Amino acid sequence: MEETARDIMDRTFLTVRPDMTIGEAMQVFRQAAAVSGRPVFGLMVTDYREQLVGMLSMYDIFLLIRPKHIHIWGEMKDLDLSGIITHTCQKAGCMLVGDIMSTDLITMPPDTHLLYIIDIMLKKHVRRIPVVEAGRILGIVYISRVFDRLLETFQTMAD
Amino acid sequence: MSSRGPRQVLGGLRVQEAMRRLVTRLPSTAPLSEACRTMIKYKVNAVLVTEGPQQPVGVVSKTDLMTAYYAGLPLGTTVAQIMVGPPRYCHPEDTLDAALDQMREYGIHRLYVTLSPGEPVCGVLAYPDIVGILYRFCLRCDRSLRRRGQQADRPAWAGQFSVREVMTPNIYVLPAEASLWEVMGGLATYKFGAVLLAAADGRPVGVVSKTDLILAYLHGLSPEVPARTIMSTPVLTCQQDEPLLDVIQRLIFLDLHRIFVFQDEPANLVGVLSLSDAARFRSGSCRACLASRISP
Repeated sequence: MEETARDIMDRTFLTVRPDMTIGEAMQVFRQAAAVSGRPVFGLMVTDYREQLVGMLSMYDIFLLIRPKHIHIWGEMKDLDLSGIITHTCQKAGCMLVGDIMSTDLITMPPDTHLLYIIDIMLKKHVRRIPVVEAGRILGIVYISRVFDRLLETFQTMAD
Repeated sequence: MSSRGPRQVLGGLRVQEAMRRLVTRLPSTAPLSEACRTMIKYKVNAVLVTEGPQQPVGVVSKTDLMTAYYAGLPLGTTVAQIMVGPPRYCHPEDTLDAALDQMREYGIHRLYVTLSPGEPVCGVLAYPDIVGILYRFCLRCDRSLRRRGQQADRPAWAGQFSVREVMTPNIYVLPAEASLWEVMGGLATYKFGAVLLAAADGRPVGVVSKTDLILAYLHGLSPEVPARTIMSTPVLTCQQDEPLLDVIQRLIFLDLHRIFVFQDEPANLVGVLSLSDAARFRSGSCRACLASRISP
């Protein structure tokens, strides 16, 4: 029975380094999706010793991309927005992963029970949790894998 | 809007109409590295420092982080050790004029909004938020020369404010080879938000802002490195007689806070215009505002 983080975590994962540019990290997002077989919206950030030092999520990228004064844009009916997305991405692409990564890390040991994982995801508003043991990254649990596990249970009950 | 227009361009407008409801906060135990990342990621110039269940105790601004860099504080230092407190507050029902007066009186760039000190903070008001309100005023004002200009003739544009009337007519310039120490010392002494870097022949070559400096701090750069290593290029400029509204629009579109102003030719820089200048000016984009502002 798959009931712990060890059972549902992805053991194959890509990471990014703090000194990578956001542009380089975006390429890793694409590669990570190919590796895991589904879209990846968050990556672990590791240092040269493979220690976890941060997380880089889609929301971190969104925050960086969002124009500082966009709340004023609504007042400007005559604003010409052509080319703005390319311009914004070029600007953001030069920043470093370490400049915007989240460092308030939430991790869990491999024997964390599935229901406890759900509790952490709800309370901390996270969609992925690195699985760490003795400072070593063993894998990562994605919210989609947790939901997959519940779908399997419901399917079994229906059968 | 009445044909007479308001007596004050901001008259009757309240803080709650301009404030931002998303307030960026950090716990007092957060390290300075986290404060740097938060300001860069959220594109804010300051964070509210809280203790316990969201009790505000102080503010850390980019200026405070720059000072910490200058003083050689480690990035692991907590924000509690450099914060300035307590925060200054205003009420959502306060007039924008009163809020601006308070910001000017205390020499601060933002006010936190609360129903009463001790209650949860429900918003923050900074100069660029007021620029948004001024824009809204212009678009709705039946005396707006911009609207008249769009509808009919160019002469109406003659009443537009130009950049020259609102800009700060001073620029802080340093050689591109100056160290980050010198840049930080100068910005703190003269209270500028950015320094213009010039080549040996006097030609402007780049800009170093407080944002560039806190990135250098986060990256562990020695303050002894030349400013040119972290400068932003090219220098964004506008002509001093351009309409204020167009230039503000350019700043907002390019996600920048300031633009350098030249007279006659781009190398002859005579001032700098920031969104804060535009907000402090307290008028919209044309003289219709100014006339109403100074009337009794």
